[in-house]
Amino acid sequence: MAATRPHIIVDDLRAGWGSRVLMEHVSFNVERGTTFAILGGSGSGKSTLLRFLIGLEKPQAGRIDIDGVGEPHRYHGVPPFGVLFQSGALFSSLTLAENLSLPLTMWTPIRGPMVRDLVQAKLDLVGLGPFADHLPGEISGGMKKRAGIARAMMLEPELLFFDEPSAGLDPITAVELDDLIVTLSRDLGITVVIVTHELPSIFLVANTCIVLDKKAKGIVASGNPHRLRDESTIPFVHNFFARSSPDISAIPGR
Amino acid sequence: MNTAVRAERDGDHASLVPAGPFDLAHADEAKRAIDEAEPRVRGARSVDVDLAEVEHLDGAGAVVLARLMDRLDTGGAHPHLVEERNPEAARLIALYRTRQSKAPQQPPGATGLLERIGSTTASLPQAARDALDFIGHFTLSVPKAITSPGSVNWRSLPMLVQNIGADALVVTGAANLLVGIIIGFLGVSQLGRFGAVTYVPELVVVAHFRELGALVTAIVVAGRSGAGLASEIATMKVSEEIDALRSLGFDPILWLVIPRCLALVIVLPILTWVGDVLALVGGFVATTGITDMPPRAYIAATARTITASHLMVGLIKSPFLALAIGLVACGQGLATYGGAAAVGARTTTAVVLSIFSVIVINALFTLLFVLLGI
Repeated sequence: MAATRPHIIVDDLRAGWGSRVLMEHVSFNVERGTTFAILGGSGSGKSTLLRFLIGLEKPQAGRIDIDGVGEPHRYHGVPPFGVLFQSGALFSSLTLAENLSLPLTMWTPIRGPMVRDLVQAKLDLVGLGPFADHLPGEISGGMKKRAGIARAMMLEPELLFFDEPSAGLDPITAVELDDLIVTLSRDLGITVVIVTHELPSIFLVANTCIVLDKKAKGIVASGNPHRLRDESTIPFVHNFFARSSPDISAIPGR
Repeated sequence: MNTAVRAERDGDHASLVPAGPFDLAHADEAKRAIDEAEPRVRGARSVDVDLAEVEHLDGAGAVVLARLMDRLDTGGAHPHLVEERNPEAARLIALYRTRQSKAPQQPPGATGLLERIGSTTASLPQAARDALDFIGHFTLSVPKAITSPGSVNWRSLPMLVQNIGADALVVTGAANLLVGIIIGFLGVSQLGRFGAVTYVPELVVVAHFRELGALVTAIVVAGRSGAGLASEIATMKVSEEIDALRSLGFDPILWLVIPRCLALVIVLPILTWVGDVLALVGGFVATTGITDMPPRAYIAATARTITASHLMVGLIKSPFLALAIGLVACGQGLATYGGAAAVGARTTTAVVLSIFSVIVINALFTLLFVLLGI
């Protein structure tokens, strides 16, 4: 079988504003159908990198190429990928069903009961079936994120971006959300790019990851998260993953 | 290949063969094809749904086929997915079949006109009570602000005076100048018919100093700062900043409302006074421009008419109008609940209510001054 083209190619990207360089020499590939995690501490530029990947910012140098889209910041037309923003970013004056039907009525000729069916199926998929007529203000934070995922999937994208999906959620809700992400990528074959610093979810969902560091202004390590944890000799990467270790005796002072 | 569904019937056994692309782009065609084929298998005891000829199936197509399976199931047709040659499609359809809520969908009923009139009327007493609560709370806060000055954000006051007062000077000044010109023109055209143009300066002074100066300035400020203050506080409310203030032990009325109302009370009389002066200029320009009244005579007549009582009648109202604007705007802001749309609705209400209350209060003062003979 011929090797398939990577879904996303990032080649020597430099990101920043004016003379301030946030990260440079960032290169990585995301293979089709995999779950790819962008890791790093606070302020390492994870979310900024995501803004570049979804085309909200223009790279200072280098190139981002998404299969079938080209350079994301030049793309116009039917959104080729779904994005879950950190807070869910639901429109607060619309019910969940209205939030979800918005992309359908905007980009497809589908109208009427068919819209309702598709919206309901997506809400059921993320476990929010009974809440179709609720306003975002009436549901919990975890439910808002799940509704955000459902909205991001309305146009049946082959690529989903998640910005800190489990941030601010309790461990149980976070695991539920991780399970949902695994379901999406395994059963629907969707490529998932996830920005996070929650170690448990990294090990649960990600096939491949990159680790960003503020000081290094770029990628310090990449590969399978389990292997990085066990084999990396880079102090920053080692420390980053060691935090998830249940072995608390490793923490100095104990 | 086009999206189609073939139906074959053999006694009690039937089979449905969806073919072609079943995806979001073809969702309507898929639904139509199914609606045509479905009646032909009605009554069958077992139905095979053969996925071998489905070309491209995504979530939308899977939903359409999943709902078909559901209907066949409830119709007693015992549907069976033939999935040998397309296991991914079968898995997707199964996913949408298993993840289905049991709760029946109730589309929200549209509220009728009568219903809306009724619910609006029923909510009026509560709205009035809330408004009185807020005014009461504010009144009690004033002595607290003086006794414990630390609970008020005094440091914001200079900025507020700048935003509400200095930044508004151009627009309130222009409005007053134009109103002065209008009174001038009106006076010349009406009084001129009786040869009484010499009374125009007096008309400008009396009309503007006593009534219009305070009113015009307050309306402009209500539109400008009323919207600004209401939307600022409403946004703070919906983003939980007000709750955060409360949790830190701050009273939002002391911390936010008192300085805003005070800033309004300070600047509105000043804006009114500047507006009065500009209206005199407007009246002067209009009158000397279209009549042959000598400028010196106009100025002398104006100076003769200006009395302390005319000036004070206007200026004394201003702080009350300012307070009304501040209370309405801040009260509406604090009463916001919900999201972005609620901020917009409350801001609109704040502007409408503050302009209306400015007019009502002005009318009450006029009545009072007439009764007192001032």
